[in-house]
Amino acid sequence: MRGATSAKWVAGAVIVAMAATACSTSKDNAGEGGGNITVQLGEPQHGLVGQNTAESEGAEVLNALFTGLVKYDNKTNEPKLAVAESIETTDSKTWTIKIKDGYTFHNGEKVDAQSFVRAWNWGANQDNAAEGLPFFSKIDGSDELAPGKDKKPTAKELKGLKVVSENTFTVTLKESFSQFKTMLGYNAFYPLPKAFEADPKKFGEAPIGNGAFQMDGVWDHNKQIKVKRYDKYPAEGRAKLSGVTFKIYDNLDTAYNDLRADNIQILDKLPISAMATVSQEFGERYIYKPESGVGYVGLPLEQNPETFGKLEIRQAISMAIDRDAIGKSIFNGTRKPADDFISPIVPGYRKGALGEFGTYNPAKAKEIFEKAGGIPGNKMELGYNADGGHKEWIEAVANQLKQNLGIEVTAKPYAKFGDMLDDLGASKYKGAFRMAWSMDYPAAENYLRPIFSKVAIENGSNYGHYKNDEFEAVMKQADEAKDPAEGLKLYQKADDIIIRDLPYIPVFTYMSSSAYSKSVKNVEVDAQGRMDLANVELS
Amino acid sequence: MGRYLIRRLVQAIPVLLGATFLIYWLAFKLPGDPIQALAGEKKADPIVAAMLREKYHLNDSFLSQYWNYITNLFQGNFGETLTGRSVWDKITEAFPYTMNLAIIAFLIEAVVGVLAGIMAALRRGKFLDQLVLLSTLLVISIPVFVSGFILQLTLGVQLKKSWGIDFFSVSFNENDGIRAYLLPALVLASTSLAYVARLTRTSMMETMRADYVRTATAKGLPRRRVVGNHALRNALIPIVTFLGADLGALMGGAVITEKIFNIHGIGGLLAESVYRKEGTVIVGVVSLLIIVYLVANLIVDLLYAVLDPRIRYA
Repeated sequence: MRGATSAKWVAGAVIVAMAATACSTSKDNAGEGGGNITVQLGEPQHGLVGQNTAESEGAEVLNALFTGLVKYDNKTNEPKLAVAESIETTDSKTWTIKIKDGYTFHNGEKVDAQSFVRAWNWGANQDNAAEGLPFFSKIDGSDELAPGKDKKPTAKELKGLKVVSENTFTVTLKESFSQFKTMLGYNAFYPLPKAFEADPKKFGEAPIGNGAFQMDGVWDHNKQIKVKRYDKYPAEGRAKLSGVTFKIYDNLDTAYNDLRADNIQILDKLPISAMATVSQEFGERYIYKPESGVGYVGLPLEQNPETFGKLEIRQAISMAIDRDAIGKSIFNGTRKPADDFISPIVPGYRKGALGEFGTYNPAKAKEIFEKAGGIPGNKMELGYNADGGHKEWIEAVANQLKQNLGIEVTAKPYAKFGDMLDDLGASKYKGAFRMAWSMDYPAAENYLRPIFSKVAIENGSNYGHYKNDEFEAVMKQADEAKDPAEGLKLYQKADDIIIRDLPYIPVFTYMSSSAYSKSVKNVEVDAQGRMDLANVELS
Repeated sequence: MGRYLIRRLVQAIPVLLGATFLIYWLAFKLPGDPIQALAGEKKADPIVAAMLREKYHLNDSFLSQYWNYITNLFQGNFGETLTGRSVWDKITEAFPYTMNLAIIAFLIEAVVGVLAGIMAALRRGKFLDQLVLLSTLLVISIPVFVSGFILQLTLGVQLKKSWGIDFFSVSFNENDGIRAYLLPALVLASTSLAYVARLTRTSMMETMRADYVRTATAKGLPRRRVVGNHALRNALIPIVTFLGADLGALMGGAVITEKIFNIHGIGGLLAESVYRKEGTVIVGVVSLLIIVYLVANLIVDLLYAVLDPRIRYA
């Protein structure tokens, strides 16, 4: 019978095929000899261009392919000179940047002043709609390149950038900014070679960088990105491994299983499911340290002044939250109680800065809450986006407020983060809301201005529309400081104002957890959760 | 038969057109702002957002966006994602993996399922029959994500760590060829396999009781011929119907399996596009799935005549 015979053939073919592949056990030889390893990555969003990358996965690869003017110390997060020989200013407004000799792009082209100017002009031009565009807004002339909606740029070059000599250029800012040097380690400020201009899109698939690693082939979408050591990189900082494969996963649990089976060597973010057992399984090869994120309960000061306008009410809410319990029981220790608006990893953080009002004290919370007259209707809402694992902690906070303040608190889920922002922007939503911030560059300033300044109402994350002239004035003074250390003191003064006013309530800071296999050593993860791959060695 | 085939294919055109319209409309109606989704947890920069909205015509009305899409489509242009990648590239990257996975799962399901069903039917009430019934019940009641993770952990991780056997990969690795698909295909096939086995068992039992089978046996035909030519052929009709519909379901329903084993196929692409509200990708992928369904159904209908010559097409 026809059907039966063909079925037999098909079955036979499958068995033969299975047997054949079984014999040729092709061993993935990553991590053996030759100094090649495989690490986990998520699919980057855009083409690999520093000016157009604002998410962590693309930044991870760019970090291997590019070296910026400065880079951040893995321990202290202070900016250290990298490609820059010196970065000098006398007024924090005009900056003179000298470039070291010896850095070349992977195609041999010299890294000179022009390669930075080229990259920044491209990023600042709104026609390119690059995600990093806001980073150039401090530079003089940026408004002409990005005049806004329905307008055309009137210039092609930032007038604040001037090439002085092959190795020197100056940057003039619109206004003084004492922390400008710290900003320069962010990937929007990476240089670009001439070859970029010919075809930016193609460049993004196989970027020609100036970093310790160069592309090995092109980006194999959704599968892997391979890089290999760049041998002409300056001797200090040259990569020790000969190659790294970024294997693309969209599921951390799978990546973790691959790490346990030693199919990959480093996993720089662990799935929640691993937290309970990872320290036993990996011991010293498990890295657990604070990272840049801070989680808040945001308060709609402008949208709902009747409820949240009174300082005592905000203080009471803050004191009624048991931060310790949330970090331990809900996040398995992957979050630590927040005690400052500034993240613990950034210079300028002060332990316990929040003081009394950041410490769990339900009795006192209730007392001042009632003294202030409570809130209208004795109820409030707590909004969150349901797509990011926030349900549990928001419900816990809602319960704590309910118990400790004796009010009705409902957790209100939004499908997406953007929906909640839309409602807040239109004053349609008047409840408290979950919020988080992670830094762009390790400066105290980056935890204040983008969230609490007036300009951040439109361009940043000031969703409660907090306005305070005193804060603005101190921030301006800090920007104008001649010396970064002096600036830092003033930013702390601005931080004190925010701590006093509590426009948001900091709840926890994020912890990063990573693990690596026995076959590698010298694994370090920086504050932005990126692996320092140039230092990694086989053990 | 030729005319029938042509008519069926012509009928597929309005189905496809209607479907793309509906899907595009549904994608358009998905809540959320795709540009904000792109920016993640930070607020999208107003200037960048405005430029992107203009570039991708996001401010236009639904009909104008759809018209734009469909005219491009007829010129063979599937459009671009909001991050500037060609939708066609994305689909052709993902499609082969899902196709391979579905076909291997389909083969496992068809061969093992039908064989198990036949054996159970021929040994009704005996140990083998009980075994098939029990094991299929077990498979049906365990959700795919549980069985997937358990198999990944035991066969992928533990086997390598404790025994040094590196046969089943934890995550998909292209260099492993067919071997890389085995575990995921088995997981993907498991539930349908159980249904096929049970369906075959019932269907076979019924035909084995039919008069013509008794006649064939009485004529003294060898048992192989009775079972193979007389009983099985008739029993196969409902099974083929199920398998045909299931091929489409396997392709569209592989989301969880693909995710567990890190296969970047159609399922993940679709899920990601719905999350990002990328209408152009959603429509492209779903249209492709519709074509698979239509073709699978057509093949099923044509197979009826092969199995039972009394069935004629008009």
